[in-house]
Amino acid sequence: MRVELEHITKTFGKLRANDDISMTLEGGQIYAILGENGAGKSTLMKILSGYQPADSGRILLDGKEVAFETPADALAYGIGMLHQDPLDVPVLTVLENFALGRREGLLPNRRAARAALADHANRLGFLLNPDAYVDGLTIGERQQLEIVRLLSLGARVLILDEPTTGISAEQKDTLFKSLKRLVADEGLTVILVSHKLEDVEALCSHVYVLRQGKVVGQQAMPCSTDRLVALMFGQSIERTPRPPIERGPLVLSVQNLSIPGRRLVVRNLNLDVHAGEVIGLAGLDGSGQNAFLRACAGLQPPTEGRIVLVGQDVTRCGYHEMVRRGVAYAPAGRLEEGLVAGLTLTEHFALAMPGGAWVNWKAAQQQAEKRIAHYNIRGRPESLIQTLSGGNQQRTLLALLPSDLKLLLMENPTRGLDVESARWVWTQLLDRRAQGTAIIFMSPDLDEIMEYSDRIVVFFGGQATLVDDPAQTSVSQLGQLIGGKAV
Amino acid sequence: MTTLIRTSTNRVANLFVTLLPALFVVLVLIGMILSSIDKDPALAARNFIEGAIGSDARRADVLMMALPMLLCASGLLLTFTAGLWNIGVEGQVTMGAIFATIIAKEVTSDANSLLVIPAEFILAMIGGALWAAVAAILKTKGNVNEIFGGVALNFIATNVLIYLLTGPWKSGTYPQTAVFEQPALLPRLMPGLSLSLPAILVAVTSFVLVFFILRGTRWGLQLKAMGKSERSAYLLGVRTSRNVLLSMMLCGALAGLAGALLVLSPIARGRLLTGVSGGVGFLGVLIVMLVNTQATWVPIVALFFAIVPIGTLKLQNSMTLDASLGNVFQSALVLAVLLANGIRSRLQKSASIK
Repeated sequence: MRVELEHITKTFGKLRANDDISMTLEGGQIYAILGENGAGKSTLMKILSGYQPADSGRILLDGKEVAFETPADALAYGIGMLHQDPLDVPVLTVLENFALGRREGLLPNRRAARAALADHANRLGFLLNPDAYVDGLTIGERQQLEIVRLLSLGARVLILDEPTTGISAEQKDTLFKSLKRLVADEGLTVILVSHKLEDVEALCSHVYVLRQGKVVGQQAMPCSTDRLVALMFGQSIERTPRPPIERGPLVLSVQNLSIPGRRLVVRNLNLDVHAGEVIGLAGLDGSGQNAFLRACAGLQPPTEGRIVLVGQDVTRCGYHEMVRRGVAYAPAGRLEEGLVAGLTLTEHFALAMPGGAWVNWKAAQQQAEKRIAHYNIRGRPESLIQTLSGGNQQRTLLALLPSDLKLLLMENPTRGLDVESARWVWTQLLDRRAQGTAIIFMSPDLDEIMEYSDRIVVFFGGQATLVDDPAQTSVSQLGQLIGGKAV
Repeated sequence: MTTLIRTSTNRVANLFVTLLPALFVVLVLIGMILSSIDKDPALAARNFIEGAIGSDARRADVLMMALPMLLCASGLLLTFTAGLWNIGVEGQVTMGAIFATIIAKEVTSDANSLLVIPAEFILAMIGGALWAAVAAILKTKGNVNEIFGGVALNFIATNVLIYLLTGPWKSGTYPQTAVFEQPALLPRLMPGLSLSLPAILVAVTSFVLVFFILRGTRWGLQLKAMGKSERSAYLLGVRTSRNVLLSMMLCGALAGLAGALLVLSPIARGRLLTGVSGGVGFLGVLIVMLVNTQATWVPIVALFFAIVPIGTLKLQNSMTLDASLGNVFQSALVLAVLLANGIRSRLQKSASIK
């Protein structure tokens, strides 16, 4: 299906998220919408998929103008969007989620739904257990479910918003293969919203680059990476060398820890973390990294072993007690468990600021302005947090962390961020490290782990393996560990 | 163009855009009901207004009638802001009335009302707060939704009341206590009018307290954050379980005060009766829903709601209309406003698409 966007404009308050955007997308092709965070990619795709209306502009499908009031409307016209955070119902099973939105009679036909699910999943090469509960699935599996669901509902245009963040390398391979097949065999239009150059290079035949709400360029693929980077940022970026380690006193000592994870139990984990150290947690999605981080934050009690923070046993301390002792935890799902949709930036800072019973709104406002400037957040003190882009939400999350931390625990610190924003986030984190904060982070991005970790813990099947010297370890060696092969 | 940043003036405008058409529709509806049973709507309206605000005594009655509603609505502002649907407020009112009676029925004619009345208020607050605490603990420890817990506790409170009035506290043939002695009752400000200073003071103070809690305190902001996303609020350092308990108990305490007024105020009967709460808690829920949890409008709406029962009293006497017409009016109004809100946001959405 041919999709034409004409002069799409969308503003949030004084923010021009989309500024007179026009583009044409043909059937049987894979397009990339490339741009740094806050460039307006997600906004544009939400308009195309019926989640929000544009202020002005037209959408034409095969030459006919259409208007959507809801995502269901858009899907009826054949436009389906896969969101960064899959929009499924976690308490239902895979089959039940699949059956939701199927157009059939009053009584759902479970047998037909089951057959259709198996049919579509096979066609794409996805392995989905229809009776598994969605809250037990990995992000990658939930994504597969969502794609299957959209296709079964007749999607001819598939929009994928940062699909490769938070999924394993294998899942990414499967995803890319099936997308290529869909496009070649069935003539679908696929739109990949991404800032990951390697994904774009591997998958797409044509690239549109957005910057600050405008289309700043388009490019047929393949082309050189430098050219894309130049389009995205206006200039090429270079990496800064990391300052040398200064290991301080022992901050965290984990002894013989066993933690129940989502699908497996992490057993017998031992780790000492010193002030000023960065520990990267690598492993396939759902191998226990997450359970370990949450245990360290006091959010998930371990079944065995001890956690010692600066000489004190904190194994049985709850989350708020850990926070009081100088531990911070930054979750991956920003709007689900980090920030409060419906509150303004000022209200967030007021909430996080220490103080008496009364809120000093003036001080909170000043604080918000100061942090917005310092953390380079594209938003205003009175902006509601959900109107900010993913990258700016992540900046806000960092800006909310207290300044003197002993231990900072982060799930996917650069999830969904472009190279520039990711680098900026790490500058902030390394600053904290220089001040003596120990950092433990998990990431599905091996390059990120290799680049920033002083030491690496690799999780596989409930076992944790410590890699002491990343400099002496190659990415492929690490990849083998992640895949469960001893080096 | 719609902006996502709503200012407070915007909200006020919204309230009028929805309230006035809704009021008009409901009045037409009531007019049609009256015409269908051959009553003159214009005469009914005149009688209603005269009955509600036609004299100082009537206006005083309206004010006194509004106070328990104001108390319940103030408490509910806290729980609604925190995302807690405290439907158990009705039972908390009943418990407040029962606890106030524990003291009131023992008071002798020579007691000092300066001591008795504060004691009655305090006990009523404790009763309401404890009953709310049960719902809160069921929620935080037992994972029982506060709506279902509240409904169950409302039933239990009613049955405790009936047990007391047909058993240990029964006086005479009817299920009711004896009339309390004068020092136990709230004093009139001046003879001939039902105004009572202590009642007005506690209700207005409670509302002002809630208003400032929500507007200016850290706790109020925490409740707001919890109401929008409990999980995120927890991770941002808000002690959510404790705040559920505290906000529910504070709401229960204010509901308990409302219960005390329903037993002790000059427009009450001065004794504990069955059905003492009379739906005032539910009216509080309606008020808070009507104003979309915006504290500023609560006193006005409470007064407006209090006009209805006083006005329909007159209709009942002069035109033999049933008092339930007042309930129809109140409920239809809330429904109409909610409907108008829905239509307005739909219109805005489709307008912004074009």
